[in-house]
Amino acid sequence: MNQETTTEIAEKADDPGSGANATDERLSHRGPFQRLLTSPEIGALIGAVAIWAFFWAVSVPFGTAGGTANWLDVAATLGIMAVVVSMLMIGGEFDLSSGAMTGATGILVIMLVKDIGELGGAGLNLWIALPLSFLAALGVGWFNGTMVERTSLPSFIVTLGTFFVVRGAKLGFSKLIVDNVQVGRIDEGAGYEFWVKVFASTWTRTEHQFDNRDVFYNQFLLAGLVFIALAFFEMNFRRSRTGFSVWTGVALVGAVIGLGAYAGMHSTDGTSINWILAIVAAAGALIGIVGWARWRYDAAEPAAEADAGSMAVAGRYTLIGLALVGAAVLFAWWLDSTSERTVAFLITIQGLRAMLFVSLFVIGLVYLSRAAGAAGRAPNRNVFGIQMLIVAVIVAVAFFIQIESASRKFRTEFFSVMLLIALLFAVWSVVSLISAERRTPDPAADAWGRRLVLVGVLLAIAGVVIRLLFTTTAEIEAGGVPPASFSVRILWFLLVTIIAVFTLGRTRFGSWAFAVGGNKEAARQVGVPAARTKTQLFMIVSAGAWLVGMLLAFRLNSLQASTGDGLEFEYIIAAVVGGNLLTGGYGSAAGGAIGALIMAMSAQGIPFAGWNSDWRFVFLGVILLLAVIANNLIRARAEASRR
Amino acid sequence: MKKLMSLLALLFAFALVAAACSSDDDSDDDGSGSSSETEESSSDTDDGGDDDADAGSDDGGDDSVDLTQGGDLTFHMVTHSDDGPFWSVVKRGAEDAAAAVGVNLVWAPSNNDPEQQVADIDAAIAAGSNGIAASLASPDAVAPSLEAAVAAGIPVYTLNSGVNQYKDIGAVTHIGQTETVAGEGAGERFNDLGATKVLCAFQEQSNVGLEERCAGLENTFSGEVVSEFVGLDADQTAQQNTIAALLAEDDSIDAVLGTGPVVAVSALGASQDAGKELIIGGFDITPDIISAIDAGDIAFTVDQQQYLQGYLPVILMYLQATNQNTAGGGLPVLTGPGFVTPENAAEVAALVEAGTR
Repeated sequence: MNQETTTEIAEKADDPGSGANATDERLSHRGPFQRLLTSPEIGALIGAVAIWAFFWAVSVPFGTAGGTANWLDVAATLGIMAVVVSMLMIGGEFDLSSGAMTGATGILVIMLVKDIGELGGAGLNLWIALPLSFLAALGVGWFNGTMVERTSLPSFIVTLGTFFVVRGAKLGFSKLIVDNVQVGRIDEGAGYEFWVKVFASTWTRTEHQFDNRDVFYNQFLLAGLVFIALAFFEMNFRRSRTGFSVWTGVALVGAVIGLGAYAGMHSTDGTSINWILAIVAAAGALIGIVGWARWRYDAAEPAAEADAGSMAVAGRYTLIGLALVGAAVLFAWWLDSTSERTVAFLITIQGLRAMLFVSLFVIGLVYLSRAAGAAGRAPNRNVFGIQMLIVAVIVAVAFFIQIESASRKFRTEFFSVMLLIALLFAVWSVVSLISAERRTPDPAADAWGRRLVLVGVLLAIAGVVIRLLFTTTAEIEAGGVPPASFSVRILWFLLVTIIAVFTLGRTRFGSWAFAVGGNKEAARQVGVPAARTKTQLFMIVSAGAWLVGMLLAFRLNSLQASTGDGLEFEYIIAAVVGGNLLTGGYGSAAGGAIGALIMAMSAQGIPFAGWNSDWRFVFLGVILLLAVIANNLIRARAEASRR
Repeated sequence: MKKLMSLLALLFAFALVAAACSSDDDSDDDGSGSSSETEESSSDTDDGGDDDADAGSDDGGDDSVDLTQGGDLTFHMVTHSDDGPFWSVVKRGAEDAAAAVGVNLVWAPSNNDPEQQVADIDAAIAAGSNGIAASLASPDAVAPSLEAAVAAGIPVYTLNSGVNQYKDIGAVTHIGQTETVAGEGAGERFNDLGATKVLCAFQEQSNVGLEERCAGLENTFSGEVVSEFVGLDADQTAQQNTIAALLAEDDSIDAVLGTGPVVAVSALGASQDAGKELIIGGFDITPDIISAIDAGDIAFTVDQQQYLQGYLPVILMYLQATNQNTAGGGLPVLTGPGFVTPENAAEVAALVEAGTR
């Protein structure tokens, strides 16, 4: 990836001594986790998952399909802009006119299709008005880029000027032409029927039934997880040179037993969990995994045991970790889960219980994992022992939650997720114990791993999407299902993100964007057309603003003159939360998209949780600060561990 | 250099956020967060002159003799008007009143610039005005000049904003709408419509006027009221989704009062998203909300009838000058709340078109 190359070059410049006697660090092998941790968007990704889990836990509707449609709707327009703004920020510039431009392009199209007397309104067909307004938007982007290049002024100043002009023009022309601060209506334009489908159609969940939905959901999700786990094996362990062996057979037998038991489990009535089949399935999975590891990877060479001092530390951490988890369980058992009595400032007994339980449990797990770290590196019996202890703790706590929790979603969904995590971790530990870790680069295996990850992620997403998009006949008959409407703008968001990631990562233009953002003069001297690249980046932002303008105009039908004003900072914040640097040269488009998801989940989670909106910006600020700090910490640790 | 740049960038960011946070709401509320942006830069004296020409007489025309009794009277209406859609209706009311009773009217809009307004008031005093009507969006800046006018024996009226200050200044009365009373009116509407729990959704935080609307609603509404900030008008999608989230979170909400026209329309979208019928009320008038009311999707919008805020001061000043009447009896004269409902939406739409609503 280009961003990695750029930062590595920058690092080498920072640290001239490193190249002298060490081997070239670009050729040294890095494990899959380490590589994952050095990508710019990983902090944001972890933050996004944490925030989703948090609001899922505190609010019932947030995690439903309706809630998901709700925050995705907000995330989509923010995200499209965050992605294009990320590209521009990687190129080292800002565009403060981007917010106002979203409203301006929408208003422009409405004005173009309106036919109102001599003053304005061309009464154009939408087929002409849309390309015209798109060209106008590109023109503004071109103007921004050219002005920045010609004047050598900071883009902050130049686009601040454009921002005021665009904002004023929106209001001025609205008042001049329709004599109102609200401009409508786009549905009077010819061709509306077609374009409204492109920009504003929705998928209403309750209108689509698919009775086998949950079967597909489970299968896809599980298959996806298996693929991702395999991918991590491929990237972490050393491939064996021997071909098929008896272990191949063991792997197959295990897989057949596991799948058979799993299928058996799902062909029962489904109301009660079939424990025997579940255990058989788990055993089959374990046999299959061991067979796979023995067949495909070299056997582990015994690693040196840790010294007595480290073992003492490991023992102490283990005890602390167990004590903390124990305390978490005790608190949860002792405090009343139904009490809404306030103990202190806005915190109820119920809330205190949840906070104590989660934080003590998480800190306990952190201590246990540090204990495993202190006990040395795998393969090592002590490490394995502690890892198994962690698995046991997670399983025990999962059962505790199932017994104690008053909330159905914790007793069912969360319980399964915890068991699944424990299972994946156990499998990883077992394979780590018996297989040799790869310490040299193996591009072929890495490529395999990446492909497997991609397939796994796509399968898992497909499972979730199926679950979100369909209802079952039984659900409809039971009633009370909100008509969650997914907007087509989510697809636009996805499309823009994919195009941006591809452009930045795989094209010459993308490399140029990183180069001009990192060091413009250096880039120019090695032959990168810096001025043209920056201007094109500005035009990309304007194009994104046009797209968002169309999404808004076709959704709302009439637009306020103030539409989008001030939102440019949300775009920049989303980009920064997603791991993009304000100074340019580092970041990713996917990070911008994830940053937008974080912002949208935080903003919408607050009303879903029923929190007082007076405190909204306090919550939002804390969440954003935490996200950015976590991002920096993770990156700093990952970079440090590479030396 | 990079550091300096990013520092500067941050500074600008703050300045911009501060500037961008004021929205262009098309109604000007009683001294509440009145937007300070410059929408059109036209010099005042020009404007005043034009209006006078419209009214058909000369500025401060002491020499011009008119057949009507009030022909030699000149009234000044000195407001923080930005000549937007809201104020153009006020101006229309004042002009219509001046024409009806045959007096001269000087319309001096200061475009939210208190200094300009002070200068206009001082000029009116110097010209020997027969009556000054002023809006008190910035009471601290403008009050001393108005007190000087009272001391000079000129009858003073306040309009639109200034309900809490007009007495101290010595003004005869205030012509306007108080936000609390408007909210109370909305609360009674919701009682009649059978709502049990109303979400008071406001679009700006720390805006006193909007909070007073919600407080008024709480005063008269017989059920429960929850007041929540739901996002700025600049981001209607977020507004709509936030209202939908609140509806999902609290199933017992069956009505929404939007403290602006955009919020009310967003609430309509949210009710469709949530698949839930809601009784929706709003504030002020836009084409969107009128058509939604006409279609029966929104129950009502509160109209502060600003035409009266232009019309009544002129008439009251005329009656005081010619007949020694003082209206109000020490209390403000309220121009609202008027309501636009499905019954009168079509008529109101026509009146909006004509520029008097």
